[in-house]
Amino acid sequence: MKKAAKKTLPANDGGLWPLRFTLNGKKVSVKVQPTQTLLDFLRIEMGLTGTKGACLEGECGSCYVLVDGKPMNSCLMLVPQVQDRNVTTIEGFAHNKKLDVIQQKFVECGAVQCGYCTPGLIVAAKALLAENPHPTREEFLVGMEGNICRCTGYNKILRACELAADEMGLQKK
Amino acid sequence: MFYQPKNIQEALGLKAELKQRATFLAGGTDIVVLMNHGKAAPENFIDLAHIPELQAIHRHNSTLELAGNVTHAQAGKLPIRCLAQASLSVGGPGIRELGTLAGNLATASPAGDGSTALLALDAEVELTSVRGARRMPLDKFFLDYRRTMLDDDEMITKIIVPTNYKSDWAKNGKRGAMNISIVATAVAITPKKEVRIALASVAATPIRCYKAEKFLAKNGLNAGTIQQAADIVRGEIKPITDHRASADYKVHLSGVMVRRLLENLVKA
Repeated sequence: MKKAAKKTLPANDGGLWPLRFTLNGKKVSVKVQPTQTLLDFLRIEMGLTGTKGACLEGECGSCYVLVDGKPMNSCLMLVPQVQDRNVTTIEGFAHNKKLDVIQQKFVECGAVQCGYCTPGLIVAAKALLAENPHPTREEFLVGMEGNICRCTGYNKILRACELAADEMGLQKK
Repeated sequence: MFYQPKNIQEALGLKAELKQRATFLAGGTDIVVLMNHGKAAPENFIDLAHIPELQAIHRHNSTLELAGNVTHAQAGKLPIRCLAQASLSVGGPGIRELGTLAGNLATASPAGDGSTALLALDAEVELTSVRGARRMPLDKFFLDYRRTMLDDDEMITKIIVPTNYKSDWAKNGKRGAMNISIVATAVAITPKKEVRIALASVAATPIRCYKAEKFLAKNGLNAGTIQQAADIVRGEIKPITDHRASADYKVHLSGVMVRRLLENLVKA
């Protein structure tokens, strides 16, 4: 190996990667298989099964997590990509046993049928509302276009998101 | 082995050493899909996400320099109409935060959304290796189906895009969201009033339609010449029939889309 290569090499531990990152507000330091997807790592190694995997090609959005506040398909990321980053999964949304506003509105609106797409949708809505607190219906559709629900229509889902936006606006005032 | 270099020189050193045995990882939205489906298992990754120089956007008089890791989400906010539109049509929000414009070019999909916009804008790419850097117009970069000018030791370090073109962009597919195009097309007018026309999903690579452009250069862009230019485009492209649409339909659609975009551009 050339000099440049040696410098870049992490401490080698049987091909494992020394990952440091923040997961749902807690600092985590762990050795990982670097070719594992973030999705598999979260579900298998961290036991956080709220994040779902379905299409594994970025079409369905059931694997969405927040990375530094941005929505990302965890099925398309290799674990070391979140080195030094801040990852929030659906498990990090509730605080002190109190649901996040978006979660609460999904419950109230009955925006859940089988529930498989729900974590991804809530993550997408969270990211959208952080960037744009008062989206129009059209902006909601664009913000949620990466998420597929196969049970039913999207009306209740959109309604829940709109009500969450209203309530978050009220809380700020 | 997984490498996470902190600067471009380190990344290029690794690539020069490992050549084909290493894959650059930008957004990962193409290579990880292949891995998930058991169609690829790269031996080594060189992750580019932690290289600050590759995140930069530099403004010059009449161009923008987009570094290799500028994402579709970032490009979607640029004041360059056809490029922003194309970037916002890629995947959903999660894909746009991950995927990069340069990655879209390196993958060289015939359906590359960003590629059409960048072709119509006369964008240039800078390819860099330990041997040095070279620049070329984007239409010289695509060689054939998923083949590009990138050598085994090179990466796309920059995309240089003019900001003084008037442009428009459109894509047609089976749904409104998360769409791979049946046809995507970009048109632009240079400051010297020359017309540029680029299409994706109608040939082995994203292409420029030079015959139609030459026709318009000679005869001017106006209500009378637009239909003829669109007809020339129909003859100039070579789409194949696939699961998205038949070749005949793509030819028809291309003519309609180019005509509509040129009409809008004349009105604008």
